[in-house]
Amino acid sequence: MEDRDFKTRLKIAKKDLQKTSLDENNKRGLFMGSAFRLGTELVAAVVVGTIIGFILDNWFDTKPWFIITFFFLGVIAGILNVIRVAKNMQKKD
Amino acid sequence: MAANPMHQFQVYKIGPEIKLGDIDLSFTNASLFMLLSALSICLFLYFGSKQKNIIPGRLQLIAELFYNFIAKMISDTAGSKAKPYFPFIFTLFMFVLLCNMIGMLPYSFTVTSHIIVTLVMALFIFIAVTIIGFIKHGFKYLSIFVPKGVPVVLLPLITIIEIISYLSRPVSLSVRLFANMMAGHTMLKVFGSFVISLGLLGGWLPLSFSVALTGLEILVAFLQAYVFAILTCIYLNDALNLHH
Repeated sequence: MEDRDFKTRLKIAKKDLQKTSLDENNKRGLFMGSAFRLGTELVAAVVVGTIIGFILDNWFDTKPWFIITFFFLGVIAGILNVIRVAKNMQKKD
Repeated sequence: MAANPMHQFQVYKIGPEIKLGDIDLSFTNASLFMLLSALSICLFLYFGSKQKNIIPGRLQLIAELFYNFIAKMISDTAGSKAKPYFPFIFTLFMFVLLCNMIGMLPYSFTVTSHIIVTLVMALFIFIAVTIIGFIKHGFKYLSIFVPKGVPVVLLPLITIIEIISYLSRPVSLSVRLFANMMAGHTMLKVFGSFVISLGLLGGWLPLSFSVALTGLEILVAFLQAYVFAILTCIYLNDALNLHH
């Protein structure tokens, strides 16, 4: 008996999950998560770009040209990432 | 007496040294706290789902809350196609959450404040998502590096930028968690040592800061686990539903 009751509750819960409405509380959490995301996204792309430049420089013995170009490419990639996240945040609004 | 605020992050061996060839496999305090959090997740979920009452008890309620939270997050961010990956993301979220939360207890060790731990998790996610993308879409998966509507002249440049931004995912994922946890715990320790050094007269101000920071740290511990899980979902979504 109890098991059947649990199953109906499970069914109702599953049905609720399919509704994709976000309640207010959940939304605030999402925004805060995105805010945490923005900062590191920028830094990480710069770091990765610089590391790629450093490795390429070591391979081809062209210090410092690759590291300079890839640093700036990393900056562009970082800004692009931030813009993308911000756009997603606006879309969800 | 000012204790070194970085002392809390020291890894030391517990018990005998175990060596496998050149690899040091000794049991450390980090392994102990990872084991502790994994065990507490298992126990919590076992007792939480043991009794299937229609009116849930406290433990069952919390377990169901976590389940619903993650299931909703996955269906919101990655759609129904990501359902099969629920166990992985749930495990990931619970592990990071418990590691962060157990780290908040006095005298404990925060596993996630070490970049090697977070980097391994992030790299695993990164590689797994890439493999999933290739399995689902074959070589068409490479089209995420080539955004639509870009002039042919700019294409090589944009592709390089896209590759950098793709490769930056594990770095940003791991650095975020590690930096937040380490910075928070260092700050707690610094304010704690202020209380001691300022004594009974001036120690009250840093003490109140310490209390506020503890609350903030608990929020951050939860939020970072959430961000870690939701970003995994977003990356998974990129791999499953190819559109950019």
